[in-house]
Amino acid sequence: MEEILQVKNLKKTFKLSRKQRKLEGGAATKKAVDDLSFTAYKGEIFGLLGPNGAGKTTTLRMLATLIKPDGGDAVIDGKSIVSDPYGVRSKIGFLTSELKLEDFFTPNYLYGYFSRLYNVPEDVAAERKKKMFESFGIDKFAEVKVANLSTGMKQKLSIVISLVNDPDFIIFDEPTNGLDVLTAKTVTDYLAELRANGKTVILSTHIFSLIEKLCDRVGVIIDGRLVALDTLANLTAEKNLEDKFFDLYKSVKEER
Amino acid sequence: MKTVLTIIKKEFARFFKDTRLLITALILPGLLIFALYNIMGTIMQNAEDKEAEKACTVYIADIPDSLEQSFLLSFSLKADFNDETARAAVKDGSLDLYMAFPKNFDEAVKDYDVSSGQPAPNVQIYYNSAKPKSFEAYSLATALLSRYEQTLVNKFDINADLNGVYDLADVQNVSRTVLSTVVPMVLLMLLFSGCMAVAPESIAGEKERGTIATLLVTPVKRSVVAVGKIAALSVIALLSGLSSALGMLLSLPKLAGSAGGGITFSMYGFGDYAAILGVILSTVLILVAVISIVSAFAKSVKEANGLVVPIMILVMLCGVFSMFAGAVASIGLYFIPVFNSALVISTVLSGTVSVAGIAVTICVNVAFAALLVLVLTRMFNSEKIMFNR
Ligand SMILES: Nc1ncnc2c1ncn2[C@@H]1O[C@H](COP(=O)(O)OP(=O)(O)OP(=O)(O)O)[C@@H](O)[C@H]1O
Ligand SMILES: [Mg+2]
Repeated sequence: MEEILQVKNLKKTFKLSRKQRKLEGGAATKKAVDDLSFTAYKGEIFGLLGPNGAGKTTTLRMLATLIKPDGGDAVIDGKSIVSDPYGVRSKIGFLTSELKLEDFFTPNYLYGYFSRLYNVPEDVAAERKKKMFESFGIDKFAEVKVANLSTGMKQKLSIVISLVNDPDFIIFDEPTNGLDVLTAKTVTDYLAELRANGKTVILSTHIFSLIEKLCDRVGVIIDGRLVALDTLANLTAEKNLEDKFFDLYKSVKEER
Repeated sequence: MKTVLTIIKKEFARFFKDTRLLITALILPGLLIFALYNIMGTIMQNAEDKEAEKACTVYIADIPDSLEQSFLLSFSLKADFNDETARAAVKDGSLDLYMAFPKNFDEAVKDYDVSSGQPAPNVQIYYNSAKPKSFEAYSLATALLSRYEQTLVNKFDINADLNGVYDLADVQNVSRTVLSTVVPMVLLMLLFSGCMAVAPESIAGEKERGTIATLLVTPVKRSVVAVGKIAALSVIALLSGLSSALGMLLSLPKLAGSAGGGITFSMYGFGDYAAILGVILSTVLILVAVISIVSAFAKSVKEANGLVVPIMILVMLCGVFSMFAGAVASIGLYFIPVFNSALVISTVLSGTVSVAGIAVTICVNVAFAALLVLVLTRMFNSEKIMFNR
């Protein structure tokens, strides 16, 4: 198996605001990601599983070069997130709730705009747009301003926009958040299709069923640390994923 | 380069396809200024007309022949008063002024010998300082009298020929001086408000709504984002400033009334306008860049609008100080961005411009704007600034 992502000792500490310090018991900083290392292989769906505040989003933001790590590095398809962020950006597609689309514009306009920013040739972009809009059911809403789209339609548009450059490496943070079962299925089916086309997907979630349905390998993070890393089959060999997760969580808390 | 254009086009699309933004940033400023100045002009003119219509009412007891002519010209003279009723009328405001001359004033004056030590003939003038009109009449009367007093001991005259032209400044020069003090300040303010109409919305607004993050995960260089934004915003700010300027120019005739007759556009040559245009362009670049930087720091459009106030005051001060620095400015002052723009505009309008001043101004401003673009690029690179919500 070909390694496409190597994460080495990734660290991120946030400075806390004065008010936040009191709530956190006086600490001036918060270790959101604490010495995280893992590898993902080409053509797999890698799941980051963790409870709220575990550091999943922070990890993915670093991989997508939106924020810089304080320590460690990650290499995506040969490009370092620390020394070559522009190289990384052109290779990946990133989806997270923090990235918003401008309310004023229509899906049609935004798709064209981001295609141009990624230097996708006009004809390729047009063809890709047609296909993507159809498979996500955006075609009927292509001329509706983002402001007037439903939450689910906005999320689907965000997914489509994050893939305008047809990236080989896809980073999705909670891709099914806020979606109904039907729409969520469209998304999970599409992720499976991406894998079938040889793309690598790394996704984060706290939804066990999503991991069980999609992922080849899983990393479990709690409090910014990786507490388990294995194939889904191995992790769920003795008991189901949920029970396994509770065991992990308990042993971590007992250690402290 | 292509990407810069893509970003500029998007900013334009955002602006020009949004009727609300178009109205508030482009049409409203010009319209408001036009309406405001027209109303001001009309009110001022009405007030002037009313004042001019009514001469001060004056009762003069025992008016001397020598003065009758000049008083007739200046006042509307009333009869039918006596000493008592006249004082009462001045007190209650129905009469503006009451003057009592001694009987045979002319002869008394002629016979009076200054060296005799006797009291001189005395004119009594009753007025009411609480009434502006009455006070005006009093000032006029004393002025007329002291001028008359001077003619009695006449040794020499100053500008005695009433029809002679003694002020040798031509009308254009006067207009030029007036324009050169007022315009730089007004122009800077208009440009600044043009920039304010668009820059905070486009930078702080995008940050606040999380749409700039979407741009920052694309492989587009931060410097390209900064250049694209500033270029697009500068054009829009210029248009907005132009709208205000148009409103001002169109209402100028009304505002200036007949006094503004000397102000025409043919007073200046092509070179003057080119210089002003160049300076305005370079100034808008700076203003947009500065406001963009402040907006990038701010967490919201509202905060940006607040943070910009001190800068607005600074820019206004540039306009004010240029009024005084004007012609005496040494070349060193042209190295101060924005202030140099006010100086150039002022000197162009007063006709004392130096080519070196224009050259230094444009170069300094463009260099300064480039520096600000670099700063903005650095800020776009900083996660602390871009994600400090
Ligand atoms: N900018 C920031 N400043 C301070 N603390 C932060 C910042 N961003 C994240 N954190 C903290 O870091 C920790 C990890 O946050 P993160 O968003 O990565 O969690 P998550 O695993 O994505 O959780 P969720 O499932 O709720 O999305 C949290 O405790 C969060 O409060
Ligand atoms: Mg998260």
